[in-house]
Amino acid sequence: MLTQPGAADDPTVSPPEGTPRSQAHTAAPSPGTEIDYGLFLDCVHCGLCTSACPTYLELGNENDSPRGRIYLMRAVTDGRLGLTQEVRRHLELCLDCRACETACPSGVQYGKLIEPFRVAMEEQSAGPRKSADWFHRYILFGLFTKPDLMRRMLIPARISQRLGLVKLAEATGLLSLLPARLRRLIEMLPPPERPGPALPTLLPAIGKRRARVALFTGCVADVMFRPTHWATARVLQQNGCDVLVPQEQVCCGAIHFHAGSSEPARELADTNLKAFDHRNVDAILVNVAGCGAMLKDYGHHWHDPHQAERAAFADKVKDVSEFLDSLGLVAPEGEIPLTATYHDACHLGHAQKVREAPRRLLAQIPGLKLVDLPETEVCCGAAGTYNLTEPEMSARLSRRKLDNILKTGSRVVLTGNAGCLLQIMREARSRGERLLVAHPMDLLDLSYQRKQPRL
Amino acid sequence: MTVTAKTPPRSETQSPATAEELAEIVARAAAAETALYPVGGGTGLNFGLPARRSGLSLSTTQLNRVVDYPARDMTITVEAGRSMQSLRELLATQGQRLPVDAPQADTATIGGVIATATSGPRRFGHGSIRDFVIGISAVDGRGVAFKAGGRVVKNVAGYDFCKLLTGSRGALAVITQVTLKLRPVAESTAWVVCDIASYEKAETVLAELVRSAIVPTAIELVAGPAWERDNLLGPASGCCAARLLVGVEGAAVEVAWMTRQLQREWREQGIADSQVIDASGAAELWSRLCEFPVESASGLTVKATVRPSAVTRFVAAARAIDERALIQSHAGNGIVYVRYPEFTANEALPVLVRGLQPAAVAAGGHAVVYQCPADLELTHQAVWGPAAPASAIMASVKKQFDPAGILNPGLSLFAC
Amino acid sequence: MIATRLPALVDRLRAVVGDDGVLSAHSDLVVYECDGFVIEKNCPDVAVFPRTAAQVQAIVRLCNEFDVPFLPRGAGTSLAGGCLPVGGGVMIVLTRMKEILEINLRDRYAVVQPGVVNVWLTQALKGTGYHYAPDPSSQGACTIGGNVATNSGGPHTLKYGVTVNHVLGVEAVLPDGTLVEFGGLSEDQPGLDLPGLIVGSEGTLAIVTKVWVRLTRDPQGWRTMLGIFESVADATNAISAIIGAGIVPAALEMMDQGILVAVEEAFRFGFPLDAQAILLIEVDGLEAGLDQQRDRIIELCRANNARDVRLAASAAERQLLWKCRKQAFGAVGRLSPSYCTQDGVVPRTKLPYILERIIDIGRRHEIRIVNVFHAGDGNIHPILLFDERDADQVRRVLAASGEILDECIACGGSVTGEHGIGVEKIEFMHKLFSAADLDVMARVRHSFNPAGRLSPAKMLPTAGACGLEQRHPGRRAAM
Repeated sequence: MLTQPGAADDPTVSPPEGTPRSQAHTAAPSPGTEIDYGLFLDCVHCGLCTSACPTYLELGNENDSPRGRIYLMRAVTDGRLGLTQEVRRHLELCLDCRACETACPSGVQYGKLIEPFRVAMEEQSAGPRKSADWFHRYILFGLFTKPDLMRRMLIPARISQRLGLVKLAEATGLLSLLPARLRRLIEMLPPPERPGPALPTLLPAIGKRRARVALFTGCVADVMFRPTHWATARVLQQNGCDVLVPQEQVCCGAIHFHAGSSEPARELADTNLKAFDHRNVDAILVNVAGCGAMLKDYGHHWHDPHQAERAAFADKVKDVSEFLDSLGLVAPEGEIPLTATYHDACHLGHAQKVREAPRRLLAQIPGLKLVDLPETEVCCGAAGTYNLTEPEMSARLSRRKLDNILKTGSRVVLTGNAGCLLQIMREARSRGERLLVAHPMDLLDLSYQRKQPRL
Repeated sequence: MTVTAKTPPRSETQSPATAEELAEIVARAAAAETALYPVGGGTGLNFGLPARRSGLSLSTTQLNRVVDYPARDMTITVEAGRSMQSLRELLATQGQRLPVDAPQADTATIGGVIATATSGPRRFGHGSIRDFVIGISAVDGRGVAFKAGGRVVKNVAGYDFCKLLTGSRGALAVITQVTLKLRPVAESTAWVVCDIASYEKAETVLAELVRSAIVPTAIELVAGPAWERDNLLGPASGCCAARLLVGVEGAAVEVAWMTRQLQREWREQGIADSQVIDASGAAELWSRLCEFPVESASGLTVKATVRPSAVTRFVAAARAIDERALIQSHAGNGIVYVRYPEFTANEALPVLVRGLQPAAVAAGGHAVVYQCPADLELTHQAVWGPAAPASAIMASVKKQFDPAGILNPGLSLFAC
Repeated sequence: MIATRLPALVDRLRAVVGDDGVLSAHSDLVVYECDGFVIEKNCPDVAVFPRTAAQVQAIVRLCNEFDVPFLPRGAGTSLAGGCLPVGGGVMIVLTRMKEILEINLRDRYAVVQPGVVNVWLTQALKGTGYHYAPDPSSQGACTIGGNVATNSGGPHTLKYGVTVNHVLGVEAVLPDGTLVEFGGLSEDQPGLDLPGLIVGSEGTLAIVTKVWVRLTRDPQGWRTMLGIFESVADATNAISAIIGAGIVPAALEMMDQGILVAVEEAFRFGFPLDAQAILLIEVDGLEAGLDQQRDRIIELCRANNARDVRLAASAAERQLLWKCRKQAFGAVGRLSPSYCTQDGVVPRTKLPYILERIIDIGRRHEIRIVNVFHAGDGNIHPILLFDERDADQVRRVLAASGEILDECIACGGSVTGEHGIGVEKIEFMHKLFSAADLDVMARVRHSFNPAGRLSPAKMLPTAGACGLEQRHPGRRAAM
């Protein structure tokens, strides 16, 4: 038998299942120490999650599958395996898209394993922390979460877009001189469009009042997707909703939390709790799936005296399509004679289990034909800030997504998450494919207004 | 036992009454390096090259007991020498059947049908005999009795010798006992028949059948003089290249619906005249189509297996060689039997080696001699076609089962 | 000594498949130490990811040159340790050979590479009116190459058969590195039925690099029913009555009271908790005949004392019924910290008997056992509940599992209907087969795999196979 040079111990003599955790190879306690060990035991190693995982689909490597990552985390926690560079890479490559949770028959809560493990891994890391590098500090945490700052920062970028400078820079290769992640950030920008004025504090219901709702507008999305916020508000008005837009609201905190910074995320959450008077609205509505998933999780991310209050807030949070579907949509009448396809955003489909509602709403647009998107449930590679932190895998997945979209023959893609919209737009733009990428609320709004989308 | 001219050159026939006796005979023959020719009903001996080495004939016909028939499990365990007819009658008493067609069922044995992988029109709807053998006992060329599979319908323990021995033509082992999966007898059956003017049109109709709403049990394409004036089908219309026969089985309501539906679909494809053959006519047609490949021991019968979409092209090529050729094709499966009324060895060789075999290869398959007169001298290549790339590994498997090379020497593709 | 040659082997493998196609760091190999069977573990020395058959050939030749064992692996969902690299060596991971090469509806076949996930083929066929029939419950993850290795089944095998009934041919790399085709798109190829032998050979004869599969027409319609019974005997009698009446259901699944309670607690389907057994019965085929079959089934269930027979009135209700069946195992996880699923087969008529024996065995060993059966096939999946941290329970679960499988053999059945022998059930081969049977199997293996480097110590208890002493039962989900 061959033996592995340098292998510390005989791998055949692994501790039997259920052995209490021993000390890790490294001096630091394992990043898994704080995780409820029962969550590891929920995984019976059946492997049904593997091909639901985008990174496994691309690489075919068990280490880059949910089952493999759980196995690695458990091996590190058990002290069987050191937190090597290889192990770190496999865990970092996870999109946290939760497709595996949808596939798992045993109800494994993968998110509750990978998220705290990565947070602890960051905190213990001997090298520069992921959240401490310039990109995270200034761009992700500094810029992304401060809408006003971001709007101002974007002005020069917008101007250069209008002037065709980005195109010119792309063509001359100037763009390639910028650091890769910043370059991607610039490439992500949607085509220049006037954002329009900010939403007012209240948009009153049209017709009989059926509900009173608050709209979450977020940070990144408010800058880049203000037209969609307007569209969402108008659709809600059409459906008899008073729409409140609290002005003190802030970023949901997802970017921080997923990058391993729990404390700033808690502060943002508590600011939002103050901004939204959740007791006096029927629902808090979100049209960006990533933010929605985070807001719905406020109740169990932090264990402190405010937990119950956060849970009460989270109970009111609904995706806008989920809410309209249960309210009963006032049928729009404007015909939109197009063939469209719908991409399930991970944070809507997997994290919030909202899959049929947006499809049912879209089906009510006269003339619109909805065709199935192959691999609709596979992540497009946006995954929050993943497209900025793991550009290579992200690019592979967006290529895969666009290939699937093109297979449908449809030129209209609808999806309920800002990240997916940007990602798919960028991919289409870079490949010269003319594609209308829109939020379902954009299309519903057009139908109510009896307008046609610009293709 | 019907023994044709091609029966192996044997000094005597031994008919053991038990598997143990059979094993002893084989062990003795192995020790003496005497060739052994296992024979069931003797209905499939015209297939392949004639045996040259003299030896013993080993009959399984005394091994004909029903070992176990738990009808409610829908399985039966029988010895290999049981005739297909008596098996059929027994199963019918419980409303069950083995939906595998075998010609000359009164003499053909279940062991022989398995060893030769005999099939007929029903294989389109039901699969072939390999899909029904779930357990097998046999004696290898050393005289060692062994088994594989079991008596349950789902079982993945060990190598699947049920499949390996099916169609092995007695070259690996002598089958002594089998367990079969059964099906319920169909309540009703019928044929829908039409004449088709050209082979091109035939392919169009066959291709449409792939998308049909009906579920055929058999898709048969027949051509040639005798089929054109068949008394059951009636005389063929004036310009008829081939006749298409679609057999359906099932509950009476299903059969009625399918015959109507198929006639409707055909009308839409421009086939105005089609007829339904049911009741006793249907039964007779099933039986006639089942018997066709072995009906005549004279002449030359070739069995080709090609892509289903290439059947009509192959049929056209076969008839171009001789207009009088009689054709039956399980067109859904791509199997074509071509029967030429007469051939001398001089004519047969080029027809096979330069005509039908290349045509079959071009159509994604192969062609082998299924029956020919004993005096027709053929080469290995003429009978089996171009050397199969897998024949080396087949020969090595054969060596493990039959190290002395005594079982059916020279009869198989892979063990000359 | 041999270890000194590992770096050279790794270099040579990299030259074949590229740097990103070889894993050799220990921390990259740990996840390959087991599959869905976690009792025995062993790391391979190298994992290699070929993309073409030619690369597989080159890898196999290198393994021979370096005299190291090697074995193929697909998605690693085997429940019997089929992918356990006994003796280490080179693991050939086929997950990058994942193209559907051809779909031909006219000739009703598809050609796929071994790493294609089972359900991808069905998805690719959506809307064509055809599908690939074998549908193991793990079909969302397991590969067709793996299905070929284990001759996978699924809930629909009663009517449609298992993998071997749908494989027309395979292209495979033999243990000496030769590439061959067995069978192919035309049926009845002359010579031996080697595709039939390769299917179910658990990777001990050859590494399959391409598969020709038969496609099956979609049924026109379905009728899905749920029969609720006061006793297990009534339910099993109903099964026999249905099959005896000449009906071949597309699926016939049984769940006993124990699993019913678990499913109900988890999903609230509204099942009566005092029912002793429920049958999920599905017939499919031509609309013209379905109502007649449905009425007959309902009548037969009632005649066998069914308390109630519910009919799925819509596609959504049908899905709900199947969901309750397919998620049964997930629900079991809520009943106990650990569980072990067995895979035995008995003749259908022996179902009431084996169930009695299982209850008795569970009582004697003080182990709670709940049951899900592919009742139409007589394929039983008793699920033994325990706490793996309790050594005594672990010992009792092992003893009870062994006794259940012994009972299956005594009933004329088998110790595996669909999971395979792998390493898990090697010791049962002596009970199922005689020394002569096993000798012939070993000889066949030898004719393909004379050096024994391919998948050593799998399936056959021959020389080189260590007698695995089970320390611990498996904790498994799907089947």
